[in-house]
Amino acid sequence: MTAEETDLLIEQVAAAHRPRATDELRYHPAWHDLDAAGRTRAYERARAVRPLEAALDPDGLSTTARAVLARIRG
Amino acid sequence: MIDLDIHLAAIVAGDADAFARWLAGAEQPVRLSLASFAAVVDAEAVLQEALLRVWQVAPRFVADGGANGLLRLAVRIARNLAVSELRRTRTRPVEPRDLEDHHAVRPTPSDPMLRAAIVECRDKLPAKPREAFDARTGGGGEKDDLALATALGMRLNTFLQNFARARKLLAECLHKRGILVDQELGA
Repeated sequence: MTAEETDLLIEQVAAAHRPRATDELRYHPAWHDLDAAGRTRAYERARAVRPLEAALDPDGLSTTARAVLARIRG
Repeated sequence: MIDLDIHLAAIVAGDADAFARWLAGAEQPVRLSLASFAAVVDAEAVLQEALLRVWQVAPRFVADGGANGLLRLAVRIARNLAVSELRRTRTRPVEPRDLEDHHAVRPTPSDPMLRAAIVECRDKLPAKPREAFDARTGGGGEKDDLALATALGMRLNTFLQNFARARKLLAECLHKRGILVDQELGA
């Protein structure tokens, strides 16, 4: 896998979208294609981007928070 | 220090809007508590599930009198869930530090000046990167990147490249304004 391909996987895993869980957690499919370093970078990228998303949201909510609220509100 | 438990009574009463206000300050510290698990579990999936469980158990939550009780509970739920994932997937053995309490629990304050700078930098993004950035940000995590890309008439890789460019341009713009940004934002 090239560095660019790895970076695109990291970009996907850093997003908030996750398949809806039923009885167990549903990981992002691309997470399984990353090694430990790539997974850590995906976590760090999400940690870096979420405050920006929250700053741009009228209610101060990131896409993670929005995804959780969508599950709560059905 | 901010005490997010000001929202607790309304959350216990089932007020999802109050839970949203709690989430605005609680998400980042709970995410940070999962840092040591990031290489072995999908921290985003664990985080979202943990926050959902906080909402589900909140009506039975009994405050201990300390500040940010619900946030401290959220961190415990998230870390316990990560440990359960470790045991389920057997990615690596559970280590003693995984089971220790995580004490660095501090809500995220809002910063109006930082928010204004981010908005100005976002408004300067070129069209395509901004489309990708706005699509994911405005999508609220409900749709996957392929669906977002298709809606914009982009291929998935093009969408991801545009999003990455937006992220890097935002990091550069904020840096020029003297704002310290996370290294990974511009990577």
